[in-house]
Amino acid sequence: MKKKLVLMTVLLFGLGVVLTSCVTIPVKPSAANFKAPVITLESFEIPQYDGYWYYGSKTKPTKGKAGNHGAPLPMNFVFSIENPNPYPVLLEGMKFTVAFDKEFDLVTVSNQDASWIPAGKTNQVRASTLITVRSGLLSLLVTGGYKLKARGWSPWKALERWWTGVPDYTLPVTVHEGAFVFKADGLVKVLPFETTFK
Amino acid sequence: MNVKKILIPVLAFVFLFGLSSMALAKTIKVGGIMDTTGATSDVGKDYAIGMAEAFHYINDMGGINGKKIKYIWFDYGYRIPEALTKYKLLKRMGVLAIMGWGTGDTEALSPTVNKDKMPYVSASYSAHLTRPVDWVGRDGKKHGGTGYNLFFSSDYSTNARSCLTAWFDKKWPKHPDYGKRKPRLACSYMFPSPYASAPIAAIKDHAKLLGFDVGPDQDVSLFALDTKSQIMALQKFKPDVIWHGNTTMSVSATIRDCYALGLRADHIVNNWGYDENLPRLAGAAMNAADALLVMGATPIKFFGQPSDNMDNVVEYAKKYNPGIPASKRLNRTPQAWGDALAVWEAMKRADKAGDLTGPGIMKKGFETMRNFHIGLGAGDLTYTPTDHRATTGCLVQEYKNGKFQEVEFVDLKARWPKQWASEWHGW
Repeated sequence: MKKKLVLMTVLLFGLGVVLTSCVTIPVKPSAANFKAPVITLESFEIPQYDGYWYYGSKTKPTKGKAGNHGAPLPMNFVFSIENPNPYPVLLEGMKFTVAFDKEFDLVTVSNQDASWIPAGKTNQVRASTLITVRSGLLSLLVTGGYKLKARGWSPWKALERWWTGVPDYTLPVTVHEGAFVFKADGLVKVLPFETTFK
Repeated sequence: MNVKKILIPVLAFVFLFGLSSMALAKTIKVGGIMDTTGATSDVGKDYAIGMAEAFHYINDMGGINGKKIKYIWFDYGYRIPEALTKYKLLKRMGVLAIMGWGTGDTEALSPTVNKDKMPYVSASYSAHLTRPVDWVGRDGKKHGGTGYNLFFSSDYSTNARSCLTAWFDKKWPKHPDYGKRKPRLACSYMFPSPYASAPIAAIKDHAKLLGFDVGPDQDVSLFALDTKSQIMALQKFKPDVIWHGNTTMSVSATIRDCYALGLRADHIVNNWGYDENLPRLAGAAMNAADALLVMGATPIKFFGQPSDNMDNVVEYAKKYNPGIPASKRLNRTPQAWGDALAVWEAMKRADKAGDLTGPGIMKKGFETMRNFHIGLGAGDLTYTPTDHRATTGCLVQEYKNGKFQEVEFVDLKARWPKQWASEWHGW
């Protein structure tokens, strides 16, 4: 009985070693052969739409506490990442800024979820974020004043335009200042990314 | 027997794969609560990405004595309830320290981080966050100690005192009325803003010390684009120098209106209103041949401005954010590095002492630093168990001929040792 147990343990160790060797990369990554993965913004989605609204702290809510609250605008960005290398590549994280009407930055998204892209394959990764009319208003008031003035817009006009136009796909959504961090066996490659979803 | 049959192979597996996971476990978690969405996102974004770049650098330099740091940060949109939620999440994730952001989140979380003994290194440089033990203010009010709040920078009150001193030393003697009358100071800031109003008592106290006449304060919103009524009110007082406590956009609007309405006062600005965007937004008021003199508190140098360690800041910005040109980066990136480098050193010391915990990072890390040099033009750092004012003064710069230039490093402790030691701490 003891012999059987020892045998089984050795077999399982052996199996572990074999399995581990199966995932060993056939080509060793080097600075010379590490090709840049290809990033594409596959889709832009509003996963849940709650319209355009805002109420200030003087408005008494039916339930809960009063405050300055505005409609949320959740956003999903689905990126396709094509790995042209003969070895797997780790997408360690991504960061990008979302702008409406090309010049109004509303949020910088940081996604630190690690994701492996197999050799020669394409994987998809999703980055989610959420802004509210309140956060957009404060951002515009403190930082966007001159740009609004140049367009002759009030902050409210801009917010209503975005909260109604973006979900309808009638306004362009720009992803810029993107940085995608890829790793392969200790090598690091950071790729910039910029596109407009129309 | 059946149990043994199953147990031994399972243990073998656990042993085999457990070893590999142990190798991965040699990481230390540090959290971040940043604003990349809200009211301060124009500067918060640069600070947030600068912080992430700094931790990449720290890991490349060996991390904490060989242990890598996993830096996990979230956007809280400058919403206090969100900051509290994110704090709880980060604590649950097991972070050893948190890189915070503004006055709102820092002050709201201060009692909690001090109770939890969680080092909270933020970009709110309010003077009352520099007293680690309970104290009684000038007004007789009791204040709780903020022993786990820290920052690398000079505090806002030190900034204000330093700016006024630098102007008094270097600019006032060149004024035609020098020696004939007292210089005149006015303050422009948003009264209800905790950040903007924090150093007002200190700068007025300092004005009295230096012999200024102080005019009426002007309430200028952080959202202001038109400040003509405030400037017209100031025209009656004829200030020689105006202190700006707001952030960049409204400061630029005030300087523009001064220029447009012919109020030829000089300007001194707190650090969150003084960055690479200010001369762009102020336009002719800071760039024309007859531009106004605008000086500001720079607790750390501008992005790319020559100093030791700045090459690393620029290199890592380029490496990890290649889509953002250097011309769009701000001094907020070096500011983030200042806090990150301070935390790095504190953690290395705590780890060497065998106590890499919140209290260890504080007592065996931060509070053992004496004139620790981080470069980037920042003052050398000293923290003691009774005083968390990291530096004793501030570098003051001016914008001249299209670039920022040093005016003077004002060392308040060296100049007014008695007041520094016993009178100015915490306000």
